[in-house]
Amino acid sequence: MFDLSIFDGIIELLPEIGKATGETLLMMAICLTAAVLIGGSLGIAVFLTSRGQALARYRRFNLLANAVINVVRSFPFIILLVAVSPFSRHIVGTSIGPLAASVPLSLAAIFYFARLIEQTLRDVPRGVIEAAEAMGASPLQIVFHVLLVEARSGLILAFTVLTVSFLSYSAVAGVVGGGGIGDLAIRYGYYRFETDIMVATIVLLVVMVQSIQFLGQWLARRLDKR
Amino acid sequence: MTAVPHSPPAAIQLRGVGKRFTGSDGEAVGVAPTDLDVAAGEIHGIIGFSGAGKSTLLRLVNLLERPDSGEVIVHGENLTRMSPPQLRAARQRIGMIFQHFNLLHNRTVAENVAFPLRIAGASPERIRERVQACLSFVGLSDKAEAWPSQLSGGQKQRVAIARALAPEPHLLLADEPTSALDPRTTLSLLEVLDDVNRRLGVTILLVSHEMAVIRRLCHRVSVMEAGEVIERVELTNGQVPPDSRLAQWLTEFGGASPAQAPGALEKESASV
Repeated sequence: MFDLSIFDGIIELLPEIGKATGETLLMMAICLTAAVLIGGSLGIAVFLTSRGQALARYRRFNLLANAVINVVRSFPFIILLVAVSPFSRHIVGTSIGPLAASVPLSLAAIFYFARLIEQTLRDVPRGVIEAAEAMGASPLQIVFHVLLVEARSGLILAFTVLTVSFLSYSAVAGVVGGGGIGDLAIRYGYYRFETDIMVATIVLLVVMVQSIQFLGQWLARRLDKR
Repeated sequence: MTAVPHSPPAAIQLRGVGKRFTGSDGEAVGVAPTDLDVAAGEIHGIIGFSGAGKSTLLRLVNLLERPDSGEVIVHGENLTRMSPPQLRAARQRIGMIFQHFNLLHNRTVAENVAFPLRIAGASPERIRERVQACLSFVGLSDKAEAWPSQLSGGQKQRVAIARALAPEPHLLLADEPTSALDPRTTLSLLEVLDDVNRRLGVTILLVSHEMAVIRRLCHRVSVMEAGEVIERVELTNGQVPPDSRLAQWLTEFGGASPAQAPGALEKESASV
């Protein structure tokens, strides 16, 4: 009937795929957490210190932060990966493996997300922020009661973009033995011409991206009351 | 000009308050150093053409615009000398409404009204009680759980009024509150503002370019042109003193909004 032998290679490599998925999830968890906590705060700070906003008097911080964000974002990821590897070893004790790869991933994700957040917050109408200022809200209250609430759909979508981008970036982490699904696709599928493995891993990635995108958009729509 | 002392306590005293800045087209706009006195309990209008500096003058009162010079005194407190936390506390006692309402879109009507109270750290009981009272005052008790996007413009402005009233301010700043609304909605909203003044005793400083709004509501009017207050007028039952510049505007523009006849007034003829 059906020749199931084409799945043999995949079945043989199932443990490998499982392990790679685990590595991908680990790298994603670390870099996304860093991006949200550090990059999110940085993005909010850059927004608040931009012209016309509540903390615009800290102009030098704004200029410096913008410059740093641009510089880090200019690096081709693979160069960043190699460039920070001494730093990775310093932090996690090794320069290979998913933990080590998480360092450059986090670095790139932090500044990428900072920019995304800063731009998303610009969609909050100035008048709404001003109304809160007129009511005597402090900058911190404006962040938590106005900006994060009014921009929440956009923030979810920004996080969705971040997740999808870094799922793809994490594949490059194979260069430093980071592992992960993308790395598996390159090692078996590309270098060893095992097309079935490549197809299987890519299908897996497509399913993950689709799910992330669907979930992000669904949540964003649900939260949008504008 | 020297400030004329009022018998009732002053709600707002501006002393030489000015602000100059450059507009997006490179033209200097703003407010020349100005004195303004608003007595407690009155409805004071600021009228003028677009770009006359009306909104800037209003926004100087709660320091949304920082003046280059002068002092802003509200209910005897000098806002210009306050630290940021003191200023925030003072602002919590001054309500403000806007032309475009500026409601939080991702919060329900009730949450919008609760907002200034939450900022001020009010207790849940007080918030519940005030939200109920204020929504009922503006006639929107049944909309408490609605989202702002589900309301008409007039309803949104009522919510904004309820929100401004929630912390029980003695002063309400109104920046073109009816300019985005149709004439009928404008009238019903003016009723609400009149109620706010009469029943709650709230002093109102209102900016408008619509003469009908000023006549219907205001006790006194400051007429602005090119960043200067060129005239102060007392209205009795909406009647404008015939020898005033405002009366001249009215005959020139038939009581319609002066902004509908752009460029009709020249600055040099504006000395009072």
